[in-house]
Amino acid sequence: MHPQLQKLVALQDIEAMISEAKEQSSELEGMGFNLDGLASLQEKADSLAGEIEKRHLGYYRRLHKRFGHAVVPVVDNLCTGCFANIPASFVSATNENLLQNCESCGRILYWP
Amino acid sequence: MDIAEVLQHTSPELFLPELEAGDKAGVLAELVAGLVAGSPTITKQDAVLQMLESREALGSTAVGPGVAFPHGRTLAVQRLTVLVARSGKGVDFDSVDGDPTHLFFVLIAPPQDSGHKYIKSLAALTDKLQDDTLREKLMAAADYESFCAALGEE
Ligand SMILES: [Zn+2]
Repeated sequence: MHPQLQKLVALQDIEAMISEAKEQSSELEGMGFNLDGLASLQEKADSLAGEIEKRHLGYYRRLHKRFGHAVVPVVDNLCTGCFANIPASFVSATNENLLQNCESCGRILYWP
Repeated sequence: MDIAEVLQHTSPELFLPELEAGDKAGVLAELVAGLVAGSPTITKQDAVLQMLESREALGSTAVGPGVAFPHGRTLAVQRLTVLVARSGKGVDFDSVDGDPTHLFFVLIAPPQDSGHKYIKSLAALTDKLQDDTLREKLMAAADYESFCAALGEE
């Protein structure tokens, strides 16, 4: 996997975790979970973002603003963001180290 | 959501009756290895581990008496998956009460899960596992079937 994609996936996971901890805090705290580490998790997200090339991060932020999820999994050859078909050539070994976007919606593609 | 519904997301392949690791980092790695081995659609071990480690940075998930609930969403999974593990000797998992953790319920879900199925499953499990007698039965269960039977009892 493209190393920048790996970082974008980790960033999206952490940012989603932060939003969830904020939005569902009363529910999670009701179950006994302590969310004191929110600030340190935010620091972790910031430092991860710092490891991502500016052009990739900028594109990720724009997609995030527009769609919520910037990186989407490809399942059964479909972009799970817009359900467009992803050509088989996208998954060939020669493309393994490319950062690829859905040709239809532009979201960053990830093969789980 | 009831426990029977939560149990639909696990399987005998996702049951680790005796963990080997003796510390928190080792247990997390063992749990993730178990998820990859037990679920054909989970392949990105690093992404899952990174997510669970981040979740522990937010606050330890060892909130039940002797029980931890490592959980979270990641792009690396396609459906809600539940893994169950035990440690007879117990592990220091930074628990809220300071006691060692013996039971682990790992819940991982994809980012898109509009019904919040995983939050509801988490709520059902954290509530159920408050019961001392139940936890003893779960630790003593000989196999996956008897573990699930004990968990499913009213
Ligand atoms: Zn698309």
